Amino acid sequence: MAAVDIPIAGGHADDAHGDPHANYLTAKRGIGSWLVTLDHKRIGLMYLAAVSIAFFAGGVFALLLRLELFSRGRTIVDAETYNRFFTLHGAIMVFLFIIPSIPAALGNFFLPIMIGAKDVAFPRLNLFSYYIYLAGATIALTSIVMGAVDTGWTFYTPYSVQTANSVISMTFGAFVLGFSSILTGLNFIVTVHTMRAPGITWGRMPLFVWGMYATALIQVLATPVLAITLLLLICERFFGIGFFDPKLGGDPVLFQHFFWFYSHPAVYIMIVPGMAINSELIATFSRRAIFGQFAIAMSSLGLAILGFLVWGHHLFVAGMSEFATMLFSALTFLVAIPSGVKVFNWTATIYKGSIVWASPMLYAMAFIFLFTIGGLTGLFLGTLSVDVHLTDTYFVVAHFHYVMMGGTVIAFLGGLLYWWPKMTGKMHDEFKAKIGFVFVFIGFNVTFMSQFIMGSRGMPRRYYDYLPQFEPFHKASTIGSWILAVGLFITAYTLLEALWKGRKAPRNPWGSAGYEWMTDTPPCLANFHETPILTRGPYDYHLATPEELATGWDEIEAEEKAAKTAEKKG
Amino acid sequence: MNESNAPATFQLPEQMSTVAADVDWLYYFIYWLSVVLFVAIVGAMIYWAIKYRERKGHKAEPTGHNMPLEIAWTVAPVFILVFLFHKGFHGYMDMAIAPANAIEVRVNAKQWAWEFIYPNGGSSAELHAPVGKPVKLIMGSGDVIHSFFAPALRVKRDVVPGMYSSLWFQGTHVGRDDIFCAEYCGGRSKGPNGDELSYEPSDDPRNPYPAGQATGHWAMHSMLYVETQDDYDKFIKSIGDKCEEYKSQGKVCPDSVAAEGGQKLAVSKGCMACHTTTGVRLIGPSWKELWGKPESTDKGQVKVDENYLRESILDPQAKVVTGFQPVMPTFRGQIADQEIDELIAYIKSLK
Repeated sequence: MAAVDIPIAGGHADDAHGDPHANYLTAKRGIGSWLVTLDHKRIGLMYLAAVSIAFFAGGVFALLLRLELFSRGRTIVDAETYNRFFTLHGAIMVFLFIIPSIPAALGNFFLPIMIGAKDVAFPRLNLFSYYIYLAGATIALTSIVMGAVDTGWTFYTPYSVQTANSVISMTFGAFVLGFSSILTGLNFIVTVHTMRAPGITWGRMPLFVWGMYATALIQVLATPVLAITLLLLICERFFGIGFFDPKLGGDPVLFQHFFWFYSHPAVYIMIVPGMAINSELIATFSRRAIFGQFAIAMSSLGLAILGFLVWGHHLFVAGMSEFATMLFSALTFLVAIPSGVKVFNWTATIYKGSIVWASPMLYAMAFIFLFTIGGLTGLFLGTLSVDVHLTDTYFVVAHFHYVMMGGTVIAFLGGLLYWWPKMTGKMHDEFKAKIGFVFVFIGFNVTFMSQFIMGSRGMPRRYYDYLPQFEPFHKASTIGSWILAVGLFITAYTLLEALWKGRKAPRNPWGSAGYEWMTDTPPCLANFHETPILTRGPYDYHLATPEELATGWDEIEAEEKAAKTAEKKG
Repeated sequence: MNESNAPATFQLPEQMSTVAADVDWLYYFIYWLSVVLFVAIVGAMIYWAIKYRERKGHKAEPTGHNMPLEIAWTVAPVFILVFLFHKGFHGYMDMAIAPANAIEVRVNAKQWAWEFIYPNGGSSAELHAPVGKPVKLIMGSGDVIHSFFAPALRVKRDVVPGMYSSLWFQGTHVGRDDIFCAEYCGGRSKGPNGDELSYEPSDDPRNPYPAGQATGHWAMHSMLYVETQDDYDKFIKSIGDKCEEYKSQGKVCPDSVAAEGGQKLAVSKGCMACHTTTGVRLIGPSWKELWGKPESTDKGQVKVDENYLRESILDPQAKVVTGFQPVMPTFRGQIADQEIDELIAYIKSLK
């Protein structure tokens, strides 16, 4: 990497926000400096805190659901409460956690750094979208206080129009959250187009950035449709204008078309960022470029486009014409191709690499393991005659958890462990991280593999109680959820422990050739001291200099030794 | 009769309908295909991750290009996908098109019970079907969306308020199956005074969720009995012709009896001012032999069925038959769902 002294591209060029060469964490102090910060890294961390709280809340509801289903009959709560729990679990996980998780937290932090920019294109808009997120989350969560929603996170009409619960605040919350998503997407698109450092051509752009870019396109194009749908729903409930309720002359299936026109692309808002992280992890810990890098980038765009054309596969038994059903089945199968290409490319990257079995790499391999199951079970559901039997059963529940949790959440955890030292300057305990991983991996599979089997045996979803023949599978699934929870707690503890007990992290603890590891740990306020000029791709290990690949652990050890001797003398 | 409802295999329930074997074949085809692909991908990943692990003296080989390989694994899946699509669509069409001689049973779904109404006007809370005969369910909902699901039949169809949906099956042997609601439709665990209702499921497989307790989506359970023709006939006789009784309760009559009500309605609602039942053309199309006929309209070809007739009564200008003026007034708000059913039954009887 060469460096010349030219101003760093874009962002808040004024020095009012602190010395551009100072550590971003300590350049300014006090809560106030965080609340009004325009630094994309701090905003990323604030998002991380918020989505972590959401994940915790959604997870608590998941554990309560599984506990209720542990045995037949009433276990801990009554039916109405159960219906609210699964609605809150779904709505919180989808709208408050998964959709913003990777783009808004890790994307915000690393996208500008990985293209050598000082910040995102519109830093004020970035902060604004964070507060919109908080506002939307608050509105959505007031529905809990007001009696909670019991419609399921999909708000299907006419039930959502007729039920007595506070649907309006929940949908209005989701409506507001959508704006946060749109603005973040817009910001990323402009940033990627206009602020790449010299040498970062589209071909050399890191795959994480490609994934964020594809995600941003979907966010900007699809989210307005959800906003309109939820607004129509609110109008129907509030003013009795008939759109979806047949009693008012509306069409309930129309709502499903509208809803999934957004929410299916939203599935790709959730999974494409996970795939993007996975590409980074596989490259770093295989010490070589991703096989078919161009194909991986293009398959992200391919998924983004195909994602818009397959919403109808949620309606195979809902009352669509046979012709539409056929069309959506055919289009749905096309999704398998870019997904397959990614999995093949990742696996081929491992071949003849030099594989480091670090904790983020364990998550990356778990991603391939779980996403392959999630993807292959999609074949059952895309196949029309088989889908008729499986749809609306636990098979579907297991399928999307393998994709959303086995894919996105696993990648999110892998990405967190991978970038934790860069973000915080502290190294976590790898041993504890691996123990946590083992619990997460086993717990996840026990929880959801049993759901596949009870689903194909005919157990419908969203049931408060079940017939005796399903009891062993529900028991196994609930026990799995406990193992999973233990794993997540160990992982959370490992990350938090690093903050006060962790070793100081060097510049490049994993020995990666990626651009984000070329700058300080933690990065300075302006990300780079001089604008980086890239003469190689982010995965070109054979072109990277030994200095670039040096982990810096030697210096850290020397420092630690010196401190120890000083301590002894002192 | 299979009393225990033992599953056919570890993954799938018993097969009780003519389509089940095909569905299961395809299920297991995809299953084994998935097992092979999964083992190949994950096996290769783990094997290579161990074989090429980081160690002294081992260096990663720079990634090269292999265009033929990349094209191969992009194109090869297409063949499998086309095959799956074809088989799946074929099976789906088999489920979609009911044989013409199917016994028509009306299904009313409501929060949280099923009602099955047979051609003679009798009704029951469980579904009875003769073995080896096709049965077509014509389903409607009075409140929210439900979904009819019988695992051993491998059929499922949403029941949507404001329209009719249908499915058909043919039982292959005598036996019983659960009928579930597969679309979330709410629940109630509090009484009218806000007092908590008790809840205790029963161990009786035919009635797992006794009445008078907390209820909801999960408890919208019924049974399917596929019976010998004799047993079925006995059952039909036992429920008798109860149409008058249903009418007094405001419920819908099945076609043969409902048609009479429809005939009266056709006069009292003034339909006969514009439509005839003799084939003579007045302001609107004649109802004679209208049922099931393909009609060309200003929005294209339609088949005259429950949904088209319902739409034409509530929203007459939606699809106007070619050669007629869009002059019919809407009957929305002036006609009850049950009356629409009766009119349709009457038009059906004129075929």
